[in-house]
Amino acid sequence: MAGLDESLRRIGKEAGIDRCVECGRCTAVCPMAEMYVNFSIAMSPRGIIKKALTGESLAADRNLWYCTECNAGTDACPQQVSCRDLVRGLRRLALDAGKQEEMSVCPCCGERFLALPVEDFVLGRLREEPPNVKNWLKLCPACRREGYLRRNA
Amino acid sequence: MEPANNIRDNELGIDDLRPRRLEKRTLMDRFMPRRRPFILFDPDRCTGCGTCETICATRNVGSIAPASASIRVIRNDARGRNLAVYCQHCRKPLCVEACPTRAMTRGEDGIVRIEKLFCTSCGLCTAACPEAAPLRDGRTSEIRKCDLCEGDPLCVRHCPNSALTYTKGKAFRWIKGVRWTVQLISFMLLVLVFLGTFCYFNAGSFGLACPTGALQNIFATGRVLLAGLTSLLAIFLLTVLLGRFFCGWICPFGFVLDLVDRIIPKKFGLPSFLKTRMAKYGILGGAAAGSAAFGFQVFCTVCPIGTLCRSYGQQAMFRGAEMAIVPLLAGLELTERRSWCRYFCPVGALLALFASLHLLKIVIGAKQCKKFSCIQCAEVCPMGIINADKLREGLSPEIPMTECIGCLRCLDRCPYGAAKIRFRWQKGVPGEVER
Repeated sequence: MAGLDESLRRIGKEAGIDRCVECGRCTAVCPMAEMYVNFSIAMSPRGIIKKALTGESLAADRNLWYCTECNAGTDACPQQVSCRDLVRGLRRLALDAGKQEEMSVCPCCGERFLALPVEDFVLGRLREEPPNVKNWLKLCPACRREGYLRRNA
Repeated sequence: MEPANNIRDNELGIDDLRPRRLEKRTLMDRFMPRRRPFILFDPDRCTGCGTCETICATRNVGSIAPASASIRVIRNDARGRNLAVYCQHCRKPLCVEACPTRAMTRGEDGIVRIEKLFCTSCGLCTAACPEAAPLRDGRTSEIRKCDLCEGDPLCVRHCPNSALTYTKGKAFRWIKGVRWTVQLISFMLLVLVFLGTFCYFNAGSFGLACPTGALQNIFATGRVLLAGLTSLLAIFLLTVLLGRFFCGWICPFGFVLDLVDRIIPKKFGLPSFLKTRMAKYGILGGAAAGSAAFGFQVFCTVCPIGTLCRSYGQQAMFRGAEMAIVPLLAGLELTERRSWCRYFCPVGALLALFASLHLLKIVIGAKQCKKFSCIQCAEVCPMGIINADKLREGLSPEIPMTECIGCLRCLDRCPYGAAKIRFRWQKGVPGEVER
């Protein structure tokens, strides 16, 4: 367990979470608040930073996977804390710990490219599109472009 | 955990603070639609040099950094083919739907833009775009997307092989007027002037009979009349030459259906066994067999074209029950457009048999077609034979000419000049992908 704690601390340090003053600006600008009905403090960047600071294990936490890895919180932070880098690092840890099923897998190349709740959100917004469009969107962006190259060029 | 919900029917009742702008469609748009600018890419001319990326990046960030470009060239060295990925400025953009902060907007001019102020670079637009055209900047991880340089795209200007071209598109839009005029004139002639003479049309020594009527006649009487045979032959030749143009341009009942279709909404579905479109051949066979059995033209008594010509018209020969057939069958328009013609009409079935020897075909070139972003041809096709799913996948759909009624709505509507008439033996439009 010591190794995991060590990597958690390193990720936190790289993201600069020890500078966090809990102003909550990252949560105020977070687009997740608009995306999910069940948006909560546990899901918000503030809650995740707090958990990472107190050393709680986030590897098994589903709230980690709602983030879109956008720039908003990082841009808004007065202390240059990067909640995006924190989430990325934590996700990497979780993937190493075997939480593979939280990411959608490209059926073509097998790459993990989008967290499942984020994909659910996108497909929910596009639910009026025909099923073949949605299936096509389940490919990773690189495979989609490659597919167009194969068909059109 | 609940799945991610859509913001618009969110149970908290919180909606977006910035309401989405709906595009207003004016009367002018209906007849003289604004042409949306777009960039066309020709893979045959692209050498993959990457000048477009470089020049785009100089506009985006002011330095030579192809990673910051809004266009990306995907190269396939094994096949020596390249493809430029850039925003197609869809008619109904999926990225606008998916953007959680509504940073993505489609302007009045048809250009899809990112409002930098609201963009959080989350990349959901890339996840929602069928071509994954919003590109992530490799250096700053921003999302970059083509905005057509506000009317003078640098990539087009600097492409050394003119693989990229900037165009406002082309659409005929006058075929519609010609077709409605021809339909109206033939309706007037067949129904109001020459009463009931679609079924048997005589002008001096020249005679033409309805092909299905002539066929039933042959079966009913067991005798082949020269007049019936010549008219069958004439219509056969015309149909081989021009396809089922009769259905789209001449048929008075088709004209009624086209009119009715504009008024009544689509409410019901049809059972799926009809979708093979074989029922009309069955009706044709049944009509021939029935004529042989009963000794008169069975189908002609209920034929909507015939009853339309006989019961409605200048001489007002109101025949009671016969009047009901046309409105009854026009009521089928509640299900699908031209559903009588699609699934039931034995006249169309016989013409379809003739048209299987068609000389002309309609092709929709996937290269010029903008795939996901448009699909207007499939929407306007009254026979529903243009496969929108294939178009969405970027393939040229095969159009069955036996079902095509030659109304040319697809040619008329396509803003990109992708729908074309070709001879049967021609290999389709250049760049057509056959699969």
